[in-house]
Amino acid sequence: MTTAATSDAALLAELRGLLRDALGVDPVQPIAPETRFFADLGLASIDAVVLGEAIQGHYGRPVPFDRLMADLGSRQERDLSIGELIEFLKLHL
Amino acid sequence: MPRITANGLTFHVQRSGAGPDVVLIHGLTGDLSIWFLCRAMQVLAEGSRVTAYDLRGHGYSDAPPSEYTSLDHARDLIALLDALEIDRARLVGHSFGAVIAVHAAVLAPERVEALVLSDPYFPALRHLEDLSRWGHWQNFRQEAEEAGVSLSSDTWYDLTTFFDQVLHFDDDRLLRFRQAVGLPGWRRVLRLAETTCGHDSKLIAGLSTELISSVSQRCLALYGEASPFLSTADFLIGNLPDCRGRRIPGAKHRAPEENPEGFVEAVREFLESIHSEKTREVYP
Repeated sequence: MTTAATSDAALLAELRGLLRDALGVDPVQPIAPETRFFADLGLASIDAVVLGEAIQGHYGRPVPFDRLMADLGSRQERDLSIGELIEFLKLHL
Repeated sequence: MPRITANGLTFHVQRSGAGPDVVLIHGLTGDLSIWFLCRAMQVLAEGSRVTAYDLRGHGYSDAPPSEYTSLDHARDLIALLDALEIDRARLVGHSFGAVIAVHAAVLAPERVEALVLSDPYFPALRHLEDLSRWGHWQNFRQEAEEAGVSLSSDTWYDLTTFFDQVLHFDDDRLLRFRQAVGLPGWRRVLRLAETTCGHDSKLIAGLSTELISSVSQRCLALYGEASPFLSTADFLIGNLPDCRGRRIPGAKHRAPEENPEGFVEAVREFLESIHSEKTREVYP
């Protein structure tokens, strides 16, 4: 059985790969759970749309990214940490 | 990522739902993600086949160095309709996206069934607007100032002036600015700043006052209740043969962000009014 910690680490590693391959993001400072999608990686909501597609393609199943985007649209700071994305994926994968 | 080749360029396209075709057209320096953030993509897909795309120079579409007038964008749109085999569509454009929608309706009226014009301002109608009279101008300028951009009522709409300033920001100022303006992808704004988009978007490019007034499809002139462009709204309602008006409460120029629920509901109701009228035509 996979422990939660392992699956967090596995998801983080897979997200790093998807960010690199789908968005061309491969920062010198490794991406961590506290890394912010927008403020730290310089990405934008359009990148989240494309990453959402890449994630669904990678796992071969639909993920309710629409809801995550709508939630993001209603946030004051309009930002999302990689850790939050991992929690979202754990709920829906 | 769905990519479609049209008019010699590759466009990033997203689609959802089934039914009559609706095409969503974002504004300058934006991208199609706005339609996800305001939930238009999800809500409108309940009764329509919704297609959103990134304009040339924006998002994940190609960015040629030049040709960014509303005419160039309208030709892209018609070529996309061809490539996607959409015979006729309802167009929903925000800001310059609505100028593109009108230009497409002028070029190919048979391809456009109806239009939602969300807060456009037209180069040919510039004489109608005097920003210094806009009640929110001082606030707007103050907010821009806090984000690090100086605006004047003569040049605020001028993307070239804007690009000149933001190209020279340091990291802190840049992050403050990006947060203030809703965090567009920085690399994409820089890519756009290298093109003629700022200059070209000010050109009339054939979309004269007379041609704007000739658009006879059903239109909804949808403006923020505190929009800087309400004189343009009045012009559209008064001069287009079949144009009704609606104001979005709590919104200035960016209703999809400032009041997303109000914006999407207004668009949905307008599209449904076309559905029900068509149904009555078929089953009187």
